[in-house]
Amino acid sequence: MVTQHSLRRTVRVSLRRCLAGIAALALAGSMAASPAQAADSEAPAAENVLRIATDGFIDSFNPFTSFYLVPTNTFRYMYENLVANDAKDGSVTEGLATEWNTDSDGKVWTYTIRPDMKWSDGEPLTSKDVAWTYNQMMDNDEMAVANGSLVENFAKVEAPDDSTVKITLKKAQANNPGQEIPVVPEHVWSKIDNPGEFKNDEKSVGSGPFQLDSYEANKSITLKANPNFWRGKPKLDEIQYRYYTNSDAQVQAIRSGEVDFITGLSPDQFTALENADNVELNDGNGRRFNGISINPGVADADGKEFGTGNEALGDKKVRQAIRAGIDTETLRKQVMQDYAQPATSFIPAVYPDWALSPDNPVVSGFDVDRAKTLLDDAGWKEGSDGIREKDGEKLQLRFLTDADVPTEQSTAKFLKPWMKDIGIDLKNESTDADTESERTTKGDYDMYFSGWSINPDPDYQLSINTCGQRPDAEGNGGTSQDGWCNKEFDKLYQAQHVELDQAKRQELVQKALAIHYEEAPSVTLWYPNQLEAYRSDRFENFTKQPSDGGAIANQVGYWGYSSVEPVSAGEATGGGMGAGGWIGIGAAVIVVLGGGGWLLSRRRKSDDRE
Amino acid sequence: MSTPTHDPHSGDRPDRGTDTATPGTDPTNPSSASAQGTADTADPNPADVDMDEPPAGGSFARYFLRKLGGAATSMVLVIVLGFFAFRMLPGDPVLKIAKERPMSPAQIAELRSQYGLDKPVIVQFWDYLVGIVTGDLGESYVYRKSVSSLIGDYLGPTLLLTGTAAVIAIALGLWLGQLSAWRRNSLFDKLASSTSLIFWSVPTFWLGLILLMIFGGTLQWLPTGGMITPGLDPWSPAGIIDVITHLILPVVSLVAVVYAQFLMIMRASLLEEMSEDYLTTARAKGLTEDEVRRRHAVPNALLPTVTVVFLHIGGLIAGAVTVEAVFSWPGLGKLTFEAIRGPDLPLLQGTFVVFSALIIVMNLAADIVYRFLDPRVRRV
Repeated sequence: MVTQHSLRRTVRVSLRRCLAGIAALALAGSMAASPAQAADSEAPAAENVLRIATDGFIDSFNPFTSFYLVPTNTFRYMYENLVANDAKDGSVTEGLATEWNTDSDGKVWTYTIRPDMKWSDGEPLTSKDVAWTYNQMMDNDEMAVANGSLVENFAKVEAPDDSTVKITLKKAQANNPGQEIPVVPEHVWSKIDNPGEFKNDEKSVGSGPFQLDSYEANKSITLKANPNFWRGKPKLDEIQYRYYTNSDAQVQAIRSGEVDFITGLSPDQFTALENADNVELNDGNGRRFNGISINPGVADADGKEFGTGNEALGDKKVRQAIRAGIDTETLRKQVMQDYAQPATSFIPAVYPDWALSPDNPVVSGFDVDRAKTLLDDAGWKEGSDGIREKDGEKLQLRFLTDADVPTEQSTAKFLKPWMKDIGIDLKNESTDADTESERTTKGDYDMYFSGWSINPDPDYQLSINTCGQRPDAEGNGGTSQDGWCNKEFDKLYQAQHVELDQAKRQELVQKALAIHYEEAPSVTLWYPNQLEAYRSDRFENFTKQPSDGGAIANQVGYWGYSSVEPVSAGEATGGGMGAGGWIGIGAAVIVVLGGGGWLLSRRRKSDDRE
Repeated sequence: MSTPTHDPHSGDRPDRGTDTATPGTDPTNPSSASAQGTADTADPNPADVDMDEPPAGGSFARYFLRKLGGAATSMVLVIVLGFFAFRMLPGDPVLKIAKERPMSPAQIAELRSQYGLDKPVIVQFWDYLVGIVTGDLGESYVYRKSVSSLIGDYLGPTLLLTGTAAVIAIALGLWLGQLSAWRRNSLFDKLASSTSLIFWSVPTFWLGLILLMIFGGTLQWLPTGGMITPGLDPWSPAGIIDVITHLILPVVSLVAVVYAQFLMIMRASLLEEMSEDYLTTARAKGLTEDEVRRRHAVPNALLPTVTVVFLHIGGLIAGAVTVEAVFSWPGLGKLTFEAIRGPDLPLLQGTFVVFSALIIVMNLAADIVYRFLDPRVRRV
């Protein structure tokens, strides 16, 4: 049996090699088992690198085409806009332009560009770059993928001299058109053959406080301070985003000092970090709302109804009754553990200029009796089982929630008995986010849990509540928030859209929001706080937006990290080998000695027999 | 002369896995669910190996062709399924991407046409088939890169992770398995078998999270995620050590969950050998019990085991999805996880096809190696 004999030997030898390999691996492991800090101290200039945990998608760093949250936030650091949104309250403030004015009817906006500005590569930055950027987006569909809606109203953009930009609009608008469009250097981008497909993912040239230095997909993003930033070089040398798929891992990473900043924590994760050493928490007012969208009878842009919404909800009184039957204060305290602000309408309280004032006479609270009266008035009478009926039909509604989101599930648990109290039989249908999205697009729902993030200017969010934003006859292309349509609201939207007097515009916006509130196509439940944590032993001086009680990450602007500075040197976490290192070495010694001894004894005994 | 514990299933036929609970692909076990999910056409249950194949007769060529045909059929099914399964998922990728963004209907339509989603499904399917034949798996919606280049980029870390885990799990499982069998019903046997089965039944992500919390967060001995500290050169000495540090927790999680299957295979295989006459002969030569085990029983028991091990490597690769997601390991598993979050249809299709292909190839290799290695299959 020569074959079998040699095979046996091969297997034996392989087994031996395998064990030797494990021993080697264990040894190497022990050498490396000294804590993470030791590894970090070998990374260059670690003390002046702000490490941020992230799990966001990156399609590219091309500001014309990318629309995911992480790249968009990065553009705010890489590229300055014509005008910025202030850290204090989000109001419009100087960016590339030092001043701007508009003609009397709001159709021509003229900007004066700051003199002597430079791109990060040292080339001069002039009004020509601004005009070139805007014209690219207007002329080329591929360049309009991400921000096309921002230039839709532009008729032409000119740069009559190096310090002037003139934007002529198709229709007047009150909302400053120079916001949120990243301006890129013409001398770099005009040389790119196919700028729509340019990835821009190494060594970017821009005008913002930080420039992209390197990007490794699903591993890290590194930004370097721009010495030519017109507000002055930031105190941080680098910002480094590190990838953590799992939010619990992010919490452990800040605890162990592997990262310096995390955001988007759940209330549970946030409270778990309360006693962590050297970790400072920020409970920031967010720019988001959560609410319950109620199907008011969704229809296409021509008014033809589609979907399976309960007809009862077409009656404003029934929708108002649902609002009156929901105790939003209890939800805010119980479901959000108080990490949210009380809400009125879809513009969050973080924008006090626009948000619907709680003092507005239209705002009403939790009132079971009122809810019952409203339903009585709508003709829904209580049946023998407590559920209301009309024309022999019971008032049964479906509530769609995302099974993966704990807050939606808890909200549904509160809502069911509350609705029962006023005579509505609420069926909770929890499903996955994709099914939910598909069903709501098709109008196949009665109520669902929704939410949006809102920018400082209310124009866009108001616009998606107008009749024209409903989908086409095939059900496609709609961007409507609640599938709702109201002519009076539309008029107010148009009026505020062109109103240049800020005080008057505020009044119009308040009126529009009051109509939306009164019509109740959705019930805003709360404005969730943005829960964040940072290493206070390493960095200080984070800027919040708004500066009074706001959030650090995901700002509309570049304030959050631009002001950050390292805590005095020498306080960085110490190196040296921790207990882990010693245990690892111990384990390796045992494995090597044991394994080696065993192999030796085998070697000695074999070969003299057989 | 001592006779080892008699095994009721002694015989010439390679009938392993019937007297012991061999953990195969158990649909109730979460850690194997991923393997099932990615390739339900390929069942890596060792008990099924060759049971449909008559041990005698037939040339190697016929055997090979038959196995190759089976693998090819599986692959075709996977390719077809890979397209339609993900098309049946609810949700519109474009709307999901556009959600909560100030996007006009024109912008949404532009995206839809860029993704090719405005074409009829049958045209999309044809494009997909043509693409597969020419080696083009399409372009990822999210990464805007070709799926094949993405898979190429992420394959390395997955092979490093699963390779290390496989080597350790196999070595540990086989070593403990042979000791367990030799000392059947002893305290050691009971402890080793039950511990491994306890780990086997633990959900991988749960074990991973616990390890992460203890060794990453609380004790701070090991990093909590990723493959290397950004900024380090992976080929420098510091970089290599850094990668190894990052490797420890995910490898331990994977090994703890899967080594049981190797232990059980080895244990069953050795138990079968233990009743063979040649061991009695060896003892008669005056060899010690230890020598009989090491020199005669174990090598013979290893032969069939080696082939079965192949089958399990495919499952291990699929099992990496969870571990990579927990430890943010930048491999194929994490790429799949991201693709599901997207949903990034071309990428999902691509990783599905690649994972399935890996498992099908491993199964085919197992069949062939089995035929080569185990003389009993050829001889009888």
